[in-house]
Parts: sequence; structure tokens; C-alpha cells
Amino acid sequence: MNQADVSKLMSQLRIAVRSNKRNLKNPDGPEGRLLKLRKTVTALVKHERIELFYNRADEARGYAELLISNAIRHGDRHKATMELADYWLLEKQLVHKLFKVLVPRYENYNVSYTRMFKAPRDYPGIYYRKSVLELRGNPYPVLTQDNSQNRNLLHNVLLDEARKEFRREKLASLANKLAAETEETPKPTVEKATEV
Amino acid sequence: MATATKLYKQSWHALRQLQQYRTIASGNASASIKSRNELFNQEQKRQRDAVGRVEKIEVRYLGLPEDVTLVMNNHISTPYNCAQHLSEGHCKRSALALVDGSVPWDMHRPLQESCTLQLLNFNVSEPHVVNKAFWRTCSFMLGAALQRAFKDEARLQLHSFPGPNIKSGSFVHDIVLGAQNWEPTKAEMRAISAEMVKLAAQDLRIERLEVDKELAKEMFKDSRYKSEQLPSIAQQNQSRVTLYRLGDHIDISRGPMVASTRFLGKCTILAAHKVANEGSTDAFYRLQGVALPTGFSLNHIAYGLLEKRAQKLNSARLPNEPFEEQQQMQLS
Repeated sequence: MNQADVSKLMSQLRIAVRSNKRNLKNPDGPEGRLLKLRKTVTALVKHERIELFYNRADEARGYAELLISNAIRHGDRHKATMELADYWLLEKQLVHKLFKVLVPRYENYNVSYTRMFKAPRDYPGIYYRKSVLELRGNPYPVLTQDNSQNRNLLHNVLLDEARKEFRREKLASLANKLAAETEETPKPTVEKATEV
Repeated sequence: MATATKLYKQSWHALRQLQQYRTIASGNASASIKSRNELFNQEQKRQRDAVGRVEKIEVRYLGLPEDVTLVMNNHISTPYNCAQHLSEGHCKRSALALVDGSVPWDMHRPLQESCTLQLLNFNVSEPHVVNKAFWRTCSFMLGAALQRAFKDEARLQLHSFPGPNIKSGSFVHDIVLGAQNWEPTKAEMRAISAEMVKLAAQDLRIERLEVDKELAKEMFKDSRYKSEQLPSIAQQNQSRVTLYRLGDHIDISRGPMVASTRFLGKCTILAAHKVANEGSTDAFYRLQGVALPTGFSLNHIAYGLLEKRAQKLNSARLPNEPFEEQQQMQLS
């Protein structure tokens, strides 16, 4: 009964974290691997959009999400969170950015804080898949195509026509209603007028 | 969730039924389809052989990544072949080509002379031409899907499809069925939609072929309505008839169409309106649907509005009205 609610202890991430191991070999062993990931998380917080190999981005993304989520939950007065930030951010001025810029930006988000896209691979080049990892709300132009603005695109043509037809029907029904009302009320007056 | 599975089961059941009918169906219709395809293959081969000595043409490609001049084979190379010189992405994305800046050209139609070439996809800033070709392809594919879905006993005969009009909100195919009071259930409509989706998944190349009036008559001799339409269609085009093929389904159409069935994304066939009685047993029906190209996502409420609108009877020329009345009618 006195057991803590486990779901409250850990930040719930808004991305699906793959449980299997990514192949991020490093000659320095696990430490070198972690250093690579720390560098990636640092670069992400610093530049807000980075292009790199898919596996590394995919793994670093989970750590970045966790870091931001914890920073939002606990704030900068929490020792464990500060230690976490200190570990993942190699450039210490970014700790300030995390708490003063990213936390206010993401406080009211109900989606993930990062986005990841598959990027094209150079040909001929290394065969690793590539990707783009970015923080949401960054100042750069968007990467996905905006299909809502061009009114000539097929779905927009269909939607515009549907809207027009809806308005036409609304107007027609309104006109019918008005006609019915005017027919009902002024008839006696018209009759009187003709009598006179 | 439960309702979704139930719906799925229902439509699956209807589809299976239709398929069973199809396999049971006697070989009459399939024989005519087979002979039609053989004629198509022969003519295609004859036209390829008739090219003779290969001449080179210069095709000026305009667009991304850069403007280039390609040296291609006259009457053999298609815009698709040009796209193959550019990149895999160009091959996959391009739905239609634009020759000399104004003439829409099928991706798999051989080029006739030196020209400039633009490759169009659905995201270009002025996509009217591609959209129209897409809508026309949807009507054509609906014909193929119907042919696959109905059994022989239903006595399905494809009549025609009017020119594409996206603003009407639905694409159309007019058919004649051997039943005067068919009121399609939702499951039946869903089964036809499923056939469309299957066609799209098969990624069938859409082939174009121009043939003589006589050959076209020979090919469509089993189809009453097509042979009735053929003379006036041929008259409009110097006694040539343009045919399109998708899998083993062949139909008359002015074209152009998109390169492959792959470009059909979300698709729903929504309504079958009875138009008029035909003879004592048959009747004209107008089938309508709405579709979006691949890669276009629309939330389900917006798409639901489009579906609702597509259920209303399309105002395009009806199949039982006289054919000569409107010159443009030809299943453009």
C-alpha cells in the first residue's frame, strides 16, 4: 500500500525508445561510447539541429528527452537533475540554456521535445543511414513541406470546393427560411392594399 | 477498436465473396480480356519494331537539381528514361511530364522530337495538370477495380468515364449492371475500395498505346458500349484511338495519366447512384469516389467531409444522354 507510484518516479518520455542495442562501437570501450553520446546531446542543445548517423541520433535522442523532461519536472534546485545536466552537457554554459531557455519553451508542450527525420545518404559514401535530429521550436526554417498554404494542391482544391458548397447550401436554406417568413406575415397587408 | 475489427471483418467477408464469384465466373469475359491483351501486346511490339534505325534527339531537362541536355533515342526513350538519368528520386516522384512547357506527356510515352522536358509531381506550385491526370487515373483504376470485384453473373459492362473535374468533389465511372435495383451496402463499397488499394499496392505501370480505329474495334468487339462510342472518338482524333492499360485492364481514354498506380494514396469508393434503366433487365449506375495522392495526409474529419460530399450525385454528363451532344465527352 505504501509503495510509491513507479510512473511518478521516472519521467515519461513522449518518444518510443528502442530497447535493443545500437551498434555504436568505440575503441575506448563503453566510456568512449558514452562520451560520443554526451557530445551529441551537447551539440543538440547547443545547435538545436544536427545531422548525423541514424543510430547515434536515435540513442542520443532518448537521453536529450530525459534531460529536458527532468529539468522541467524538478527545476534547477534539484541536486540529481543538476548532476544529470552536468554529466550530459560538456559545455557548462549550456546548463544555463537548459534551465533558462529550454525549460520555459517546453513547459506547456504535450508532444516530444525533439524531432528526428531520416536524411538522404550520400552516394557513393558510407552506407550508414543518416538522420537529422532537432529541438522543437528552433529558429531554423522547417524541414517538412508545408502542404497547407498552396491552395492548388489536390486536397486543398477539394477542401475549398467543399467549403464553398457548404456556404452555398447555408445561404440557400437561409434564403428559403426568409422567404417562408415573409410569405407568412405580410400577406394580410398586401390583401388589404389590394382591397383599397 | 471492436467496431473497427467488426467493420474490417465485414468488408473482408464481402471481398472474399466477390473474389469467390470471380474465380467461379465462367471464362467468357476472361477470354475476351485475354484476346484484347494479346492484340495490345502485338500492336505494342509492332510499333516498337517499326521504329527502325535509332535516331538521336536532344532533350533539354529544366528543373532540379540543374538544367541539363540529354541525348535520347527518338520514338523509344520516355520521360521516365530521362528521369533515370537524373536520380532514383526523380523516377519515384514524377507522376507526369511536361513537354515544351505546355504539353502534358505520360511518363511512359516515347518522345517524338527534340524538346524541353519538365517532370511534375503533386507538390509543384501549379499542379493543375497533374491533379487532372490523377483524377482521370482514379476513374480508370476504378474501372479496373470494378472488373476485378464483380463476378460474371453480375453482367458488368464498363460504359465510360466523363472528363476529370476535381471541383465536383468525386471521380466517376459509369457502368451497366444486370440488375435494376442494386443498392450497394457499405461492405460492398468497402470491398471495391479495397480493390483500389490493392491495385495501388501492386504498383502497376500504366501503359499508353495509340491504335487504328479498326484495331480498336476488333479489341472492343465484345463490349457493346465501347464499340458504340468508338466511331465518334476516332472521328475526333484522325481515326486514331488512344488506349490505356493497367495490368490486364484496357480502356479508351484521351489521357494523360500518371505513371503508375502507386500514386494512389488514400481512396474511398462511396456511392453507386442508379442513373436510368437500360433495356428490361439492365441499368446504368454511376460509381463515385474520392482519393488523395500518396504522401498527402489529411486528418480524418477533413477527409470525412470530402467523403460526405463525394456521395452526392456527380453532375457530369450522364451515360444515357446522347453521345454526340457533347464533343468533349470522350472519356477524356
